[in-house]
Amino acid sequence: MSAKLKNKIEPTASSVMRTPRTLDIEITARCNLRCRYCYFFNNPAIEYRDLPTDEWLKFFDELGSLGVMNVILAGGEPFIREDLPILLEGIVHNRMRFSLLSNGTLINDEIAAFIARSGRCDYVQVSVDGSCAAVHDSCRGKGSFEGAIRGIRILQRHRVNVAVRVTIHRNNVHDLENIAHLLLDELGLPGFGTNSAGYLGTCRLNADDLLLNIEERKEAMAILLSLTEKYPGRISANAGPLTDGRMWRRMEGARKQNAPAFHNGGRLTACGCPSSIISVRADGTIVPCSMLAHSELGRINHDSLVEIWQHSPALNQLRSRHTIPLTGFEFCAGCSYIPYCTGNCPGLAYTLTGKVDHPSPDACLRRFLEEGGTIP
Amino acid sequence: MAIPGVVLREEFDDWAILFNPDTADAVGTNPVGVAVWKRMDGKRSLKEIVLEIKTSFEDAPEAALEEITAFVNTLAEKGFAGLELESK
Repeated sequence: MSAKLKNKIEPTASSVMRTPRTLDIEITARCNLRCRYCYFFNNPAIEYRDLPTDEWLKFFDELGSLGVMNVILAGGEPFIREDLPILLEGIVHNRMRFSLLSNGTLINDEIAAFIARSGRCDYVQVSVDGSCAAVHDSCRGKGSFEGAIRGIRILQRHRVNVAVRVTIHRNNVHDLENIAHLLLDELGLPGFGTNSAGYLGTCRLNADDLLLNIEERKEAMAILLSLTEKYPGRISANAGPLTDGRMWRRMEGARKQNAPAFHNGGRLTACGCPSSIISVRADGTIVPCSMLAHSELGRINHDSLVEIWQHSPALNQLRSRHTIPLTGFEFCAGCSYIPYCTGNCPGLAYTLTGKVDHPSPDACLRRFLEEGGTIP
Repeated sequence: MAIPGVVLREEFDDWAILFNPDTADAVGTNPVGVAVWKRMDGKRSLKEIVLEIKTSFEDAPEAALEEITAFVNTLAEKGFAGLELESK
């Protein structure tokens, strides 16, 4: 016992956890909206059907036995499930916390009060894509803006933590300053997150109308970077123009100074999710990520989750993606940004190139510059 | 004793995370801390736990009682355990 106890209250360091820490669950394949850039619908790999309550409750018991800490319920629209309180009780009963990703329109006082009483909700994320109905509803449908704002206010009234996600597309890129004002000043939210419409699901059918072109990407990056100075620490992103702007500034600075490679640069190191998170589709199929919904690893209540987590060849191949050097791709040949590049999202890489083990063209800095882009 | 709702997540390296779902607090602990945690059942006294740990682990230091006491106190402060006055 030479390792002293008193200084050991600190996080453990392990590349892959013994069991998943977090489950992303598409709890339903139903939604009351049909957003034009929804990543979920129109995916030929997915069987769009819901599981009955008891299937999920049985699965939650398994998650509890594995020490899973968090469950993120998405869809579809999770609030469309009439049995949502029962499902949330199943999560709470198994000593887990939960979050919900929603369009906000179906949230009412009753369910908000239930969520608040549970004491286990990390956040309810509501999508807001415009500062007014004209912008928001252009992609999400008539009445959706009013419903989303009403949902946010109900959650706030019940002191449920609200997280807002703004998906940036061609119709709202000029509304970002107004959106920030609405969310941060008028609604008083502590912050919001951003991403952008990606070439997935329904968006593939509307890509020409919705995906940002080079000029719009430049504009979105510049506006968001400016807004992060106006609202320090209150606007976040894991993908999209804000992430690109920040990352590409770092990469260009490093390239100009001929700096050493970034610690995660030069290989397909993005993303790290498969070391701690796994996903389940609405039909109960276990997949590595909702953006890799075609990669079927097994089925809940038929296959052991821990067995899949620890021994699935497909999952372990995804985890070993970080060993693949970018220098081996023709796509990257001669690129001076290789030492600073992570290859980015495997989900977008798959949907754009048909290969998971490939850099994502969407987040390629060299291509962005060659097509006329500039770094703000 | 350990708060019943707290989750022990053991990892491959024998370290573990203690997670309180009611507060969302989590702390990491080494294999000795895991062994202590598993014995915090409300039936064993702190001295009994220390004795068992000394038996189970090689190179147990003389100060094991003090270290384990500090560890348990830290868990109590963070809401992962409750303390009872020992009557033994």
